[in-house]
Amino acid sequence: MNLNLAHLHLIMNHVPTIGSVAALALLLLGYVRRSEHLKHVGLEVLFVIAVLTLPVYVSGVAAHQEVKTFKEVSDDAIRVHQDAALIAFVVMEFAGFVAWAALWQWRRHGRAANGLVPAATVLLVLALAVMARAANLGGEIRHPEILEGAVAAPAGNPERFMTWSVNQVAVYSRWAWPAAETVHFLGLSLSFGVLLAVNLRILGVMRQIPFADVHRLLPWGMLGFGANLITGMFFFVGQPGQYSSSEPFKWKVVFLVIAGANFLYLTVFVRPWARGNDRFDAGLGDKAMAILSMASWVAVLWAGRMLPFLGKAF
Amino acid sequence: MLEWIDSTALSTWLKESPSVWAFPTVLTLHTTGMGILVGASYVLDLRLLGIGRNVPLSGYRWVFPTVAVALFINIVTGILLFIKDPTHWGTAIPFLIKMLLVIASVATVIPMRRLVTGSGAEQRDVSSNMRLLAIASIIVWSGAITAGRLLAYVVP
Repeated sequence: MNLNLAHLHLIMNHVPTIGSVAALALLLLGYVRRSEHLKHVGLEVLFVIAVLTLPVYVSGVAAHQEVKTFKEVSDDAIRVHQDAALIAFVVMEFAGFVAWAALWQWRRHGRAANGLVPAATVLLVLALAVMARAANLGGEIRHPEILEGAVAAPAGNPERFMTWSVNQVAVYSRWAWPAAETVHFLGLSLSFGVLLAVNLRILGVMRQIPFADVHRLLPWGMLGFGANLITGMFFFVGQPGQYSSSEPFKWKVVFLVIAGANFLYLTVFVRPWARGNDRFDAGLGDKAMAILSMASWVAVLWAGRMLPFLGKAF
Repeated sequence: MLEWIDSTALSTWLKESPSVWAFPTVLTLHTTGMGILVGASYVLDLRLLGIGRNVPLSGYRWVFPTVAVALFINIVTGILLFIKDPTHWGTAIPFLIKMLLVIASVATVIPMRRLVTGSGAEQRDVSSNMRLLAIASIIVWSGAITAGRLLAYVVP
């Protein structure tokens, strides 16, 4: 059997909804029991789910390409689902960023700033609501048994669709694509610089500096990454056909997930703080994580830059 | 001169080889070098502007060998990219603007190197001139990336 991205979408598409429920349950339980520890775990789960939502979204677009020639599948039903999924993806990523900011402050100051954890919780509830809608619309594509009456989406004007509007800007605007490419490269450089500083410190360069002082730089790395997530999604939503069946793009997403998990580790890992932070000498495991971090980001860059050559992007 | 470069075997190989290890790898190395070169410079600029001010300046000595290695990679790959289409780039104003911006960027790193390598173990203060230089450095590095990226669109 040839396992394609449509299969991957079917395997993974319940992860964001079920994962969000789990993260929300942990957070709410943390409030009820007044347990900071439970809230912390809830935020970590939320961050991981936000990372995993990326492959779910992009594999869904690939699945669309696979099935759009099937007669029994309504293209409009898929487009309605895709639009709902894009909104859900955006809210989920936003919740993930806020959760990350709370975790970063927690590690740095011993607690998150007032309001940050409740903000992450509220965003998660919102994400769950829009995600449930997207999931329901997705279910209607292949499960007519859950439909009440006619298909919710009458065939017709493609201009109703948000993804279509993004596509129009990507194709017809003279400056939008070059501008987004430029921001993508600037963001890449900023992220690389910060990760270089943090990982070199773990590997033993500038050992006289407390780890907390390089940890201080992480939000700047996140800023670069945020710029690249936004511009990257603009490319993907604008020209999905260039990426959805592209071999290097698959690898790019795989390494993004690895790098994302690794970034969580760099944000919350315990050892330098447990040792009073000064003169922290990383163990072999931490050094392996630092090397994995740099290797996976370089792999993301290589897969991305190779898109026009190994894939068919321009 | 440009036409002679254009006719060399190296230029032909870069233009015509279907191998991923030819032009695509040179270009990707150039981008990787850019990320390291500009990234390390950005982090130092941020420090001079007060981000991570607890860190003594001497903690940033790693930036200079890193910049040197990445700059070397990008000069070599940059020359190769030029050799691929010398008549194209050699006559394009946007390309010359990019070169000037790169030279200006590297020039901003030199006084910073003198400051950081000459600083004592506990020195943390940065003069206001150095802060201005850091701002200039961010602007010219970003300008160099912008110019480089736009070359693909504005030079037909």
